[in-house]
Amino acid sequence: MAYSEKVVDHYTNPRNVGSMDKNDPHVGTGMVGAPECGDVMKLQIKVDPISGIIEDAKFKTFGCGSAIASSSLATEWLKGKTVDQAMEIKNTEIVNELALPPVKVHCSVLAEDAIKAAITDYKKKAVSTPALV
Amino acid sequence: MALLSPPSQMDYYRVLGLDPKLQLDRNELQQLFYQRSRELHPDRFARAEASVRDAALLESSLLNDAYRTLRDPLARAEYVLKQGGFDISLQGTKDVPPELLEEVFELNMALEELKAGDESARPQLTTARDNFEAMLAQSSIELDKLFTAYDAAPGEESLKPIRALLNRRRYIQNLLRDVNGYLSN
Repeated sequence: MAYSEKVVDHYTNPRNVGSMDKNDPHVGTGMVGAPECGDVMKLQIKVDPISGIIEDAKFKTFGCGSAIASSSLATEWLKGKTVDQAMEIKNTEIVNELALPPVKVHCSVLAEDAIKAAITDYKKKAVSTPALV
Repeated sequence: MALLSPPSQMDYYRVLGLDPKLQLDRNELQQLFYQRSRELHPDRFARAEASVRDAALLESSLLNDAYRTLRDPLARAEYVLKQGGFDISLQGTKDVPPELLEEVFELNMALEELKAGDESARPQLTTARDNFEAMLAQSSIELDKLFTAYDAAPGEESLKPIRALLNRRRYIQNLLRDVNGYLSN
């Protein structure tokens, strides 16, 4: 199967690889996985508590090229968005941008799940830390 | 001969005349398979009507699928999970316990570090492989217990831990494949 140029680009030159302190109250961490292919994806966002804007995003993915590209692209899109805007990101947009073939659509679903998990984690922290709301 | 019902009404257990249990006796399973195979042998239907002959052939093929699936504990568990709505390919059934994801993530990180290292990392990788193999063996023991629990109280609640354990096994097997691939280079 031939990967699109964009997938190859993200795979060979992934953006925003790394991790942030998951105990930081401004950081939300999403960890998701797809047991059928053994993929694990960790995606983190750092949110500015005043503006609610995502100022940084990092990921680390163990999986195929499409999974890495999907999460790399997701971190690029997250930066500069508000948490609510980020919640609106759909896996289909990732599929279109990367021209993922049907057998790799689940990688984009994984990325969407990771975004939502990271936001949920951040919000949970924000609720338990009243000063952030 | 009271033999045939439409395939849609059959399942692997029924075609072998078995109760839908997860704990199966291999010998009993084999005996039942041979017995049913004889009953469905084409020779016995040589003079039967075409429709009966076709139906016997169909059931015979189902019987072979059933035997192949049920004699392997993992394939059997996947089959029962699928029948119970816990098909891994369906959305929403692939929930993996967070602590397992953490564990798999950490193991991958360690593996990556070792891969980035030099030949001196080889003994560590060998140790990692032994650990993964021990984990697999341990999970087989756990699976056996979960099978017994399911048979005592079949249902969604006893299928959930089986789904989780099989997911875990799949992750470990993938890690093992990666380590072995690296070690054989």
